[in-house]
Amino acid sequence: MKALRKRSAAAVAMIGAVSLLAACSTGGGTATQPAATGDTTASAEAVTMSFWHNSTTGDGKKYWEDTVAAFTKEHPNVTINIQAVQNEDMDGKLQTALNSGDDPTIFMARGGGKLADVVAADQVLDITDKIDPAIKSALGDGIFSAFTVDGKIYGMPTSVLPGGIYYSKDLFAKAGITAVPTTFDELNAAVEKLKAIDVAPIALGGKDAWPAAHWYYFMALRNCSKDVMDKAAAEKDFSDPCWLKAGEDLKAFTATDPFNKGFLTTSAQQGAGSSAGMLANHKAAMELMGAWNPGVIADLTPDKKALPDLGWFPFPAVNGGAGDASAMMGGSDGFACRKNAPAACVDFLNFMATKANQEGYATAFKTLPANKEAKGVVTDPALQDVLKSYDSASYVMLWLDTMYGQNVGNALNGGVVNMFAGKGEPTDIVEAVKSAAAKG
Amino acid sequence: MSDSVTALPKRSSRSGSERGAATAATRSDRARAEVRKRFEIAVLAGPAIVMFLAFVIFPVFMAAYYGFFKWKGFGAPTNFVGFANYVVIFSDQAFRDALVHNGFILVMSLVMQGPAAIAFALLLNQNIRGRSLIRVLIFVPYVISEVIVGTGWSLMLQYTGAVNDLLTNIGLGALAHDWIADPSVAIWTLMVIISWKYIGFAVILMLAGIQGIPDELYEAAAIDGASYWQIQRWITLPLLGPTIRVWAFLSIIGSLQLFDLVYIIWGQYVASTAGTSTMATYMVREGRLAGNYGYGNAVAVVIFIISLLIALTYQRFVMRRDTEGALTGASGRKRK
Repeated sequence: MKALRKRSAAAVAMIGAVSLLAACSTGGGTATQPAATGDTTASAEAVTMSFWHNSTTGDGKKYWEDTVAAFTKEHPNVTINIQAVQNEDMDGKLQTALNSGDDPTIFMARGGGKLADVVAADQVLDITDKIDPAIKSALGDGIFSAFTVDGKIYGMPTSVLPGGIYYSKDLFAKAGITAVPTTFDELNAAVEKLKAIDVAPIALGGKDAWPAAHWYYFMALRNCSKDVMDKAAAEKDFSDPCWLKAGEDLKAFTATDPFNKGFLTTSAQQGAGSSAGMLANHKAAMELMGAWNPGVIADLTPDKKALPDLGWFPFPAVNGGAGDASAMMGGSDGFACRKNAPAACVDFLNFMATKANQEGYATAFKTLPANKEAKGVVTDPALQDVLKSYDSASYVMLWLDTMYGQNVGNALNGGVVNMFAGKGEPTDIVEAVKSAAAKG
Repeated sequence: MSDSVTALPKRSSRSGSERGAATAATRSDRARAEVRKRFEIAVLAGPAIVMFLAFVIFPVFMAAYYGFFKWKGFGAPTNFVGFANYVVIFSDQAFRDALVHNGFILVMSLVMQGPAAIAFALLLNQNIRGRSLIRVLIFVPYVISEVIVGTGWSLMLQYTGAVNDLLTNIGLGALAHDWIADPSVAIWTLMVIISWKYIGFAVILMLAGIQGIPDELYEAAAIDGASYWQIQRWITLPLLGPTIRVWAFLSIIGSLQLFDLVYIIWGQYVASTAGTSTMATYMVREGRLAGNYGYGNAVAVVIFIISLLIALTYQRFVMRRDTEGALTGASGRKRK
């Protein structure tokens, strides 16, 4: 068995070289994939790959099983061993695996600073020239930015997850709110009306910290210009006054007490008492979240079905902000191949990004596909609103913790939670970011 | 065990030289027995020693090594920074806060649990109805896993949880509180949960200690006309000394390393806001969650050194008589 594996590894390397040549020579056109398939089946050497994703239950798990089965049917010489890893365990487990050399061939990647660390350690495959050109144009250049380090692409995005405020249309109607808030003055008015009908105006999963930090991220998005945010990513420079104003605006907003009682001990996604659960059970009217939220909420409704009156609106504009009011912030889930992965690995990445597979993905995960051609399957009204804003956004920023890296994200989480608890000042958030630099 | 290992070869070599005329056969027999004994010790102790070296000692040295680097945890560390990480640790207010919390938990655990455990043990040593049931009930929290304890308490103590609902329904709504997140009460909430969880262990230890005290002493005291409280004060307490000192030692070590309860109840970030962070939660937050693995390793080394210093000091000055010969080895024997 062992000897066989070794032999096939050598063969795989050869196939890799051959199909690389093939990919280069064909240049443009959609015919790359069938051609590569012909090559591999002709040599008929077995390729075994391992594949880590984070969907341990339900439709998502089934989607990956079906997709892998479809891929191996087209490529009978390829075997893919799926391992579904619990989301919270994923990063730590992956890191251990990468360092031990027993790493998965295909693994989940969320891009940004963390991916940059993996790239710096030379543990992930550069797929810039290996992405099928047809796939690349179907996804658009913008979305690859999350997976680009120093001009090279290291991951294939599967979804776009822009953030915004999810709300219950029924509760808004009951409170007499006729139009969704577009400015913070309107949001404040809506909060007061919702308090009058005795529901929590806004649900916040403060125990997990990142939902609280997202409020700061969006305040920064509305207060800071794109140039300032890009400069902060490149130089880790947070001296522009807009970073402080974002904190002050947020402090003024939290002073109106818009969140559910005990939000610091509320988790984001676990159970009916979580912030998503409160929205699912009409105990709260709004929640600031990414595009994964309809799926999370659907799991927490009493009948486990999508919330019928769920709506969405973009984060409101702030007074005197330098950021564009149509700008959006979000992330992107994606997958990467380890360094020295066989060519079939990139084939699989291209395969999962095709229109048909992306349609299946968007349906299974109740989210927005990365492939623009697959948008047609998005039927959830809240997600359709997200999509509309996304298509007309002047620019899309990455989540700040993804863009600025884990270390800064960690400091932002802590600083924002402190301020929400009334224990810190807006200046402390910026200070926390600066002091984090000393630890990393 | 260490006694027999060190003492045996000496005795056999001395007896060998005294009886210089012993036959070669007996000498080789003895040598063979000696080899066999050493072989047995190696076989029996070897696996444990290998495991200990591989999974305790080796990681300690690796942590010390990584602690000198700025390292993101991917690939081999390359950015050597000397003691820079340690300078940052001790100048970081968040770490000093955590250290203070650890100290508070350490002292309050002793103060709250010690007297209560002795009182419970005395009570449960009486012939009362349902004694074994009460013993089991007191010990149950200790057996339940930390994760379940943490999850259960955090659900009950949430602002909208069972505790506040109960208070409201019995007309004490004014006492309702954000027990977990409010920095003015959070650490006391933690102390109550810790005491509830670990008092069973202390009670069992104390009970065993009390039952090890010879009945004759109590009989003699009773004949001399000592009252119940005099007997407890002058006989039970002094003779319970070794048990109390061992329990306190275990409690101190547990307080210094406290992690799981805090991490589960307060989550990854709220602990430092609520004032319940410990050195271990600080390590996870600044090491793993921030992706600064080099820094996290340095924090681990600091925790190790602090725990080691406190443990050694305690053993040297408080438990000297209890551990004589067993832990202090040769120096202990010399003092005799």
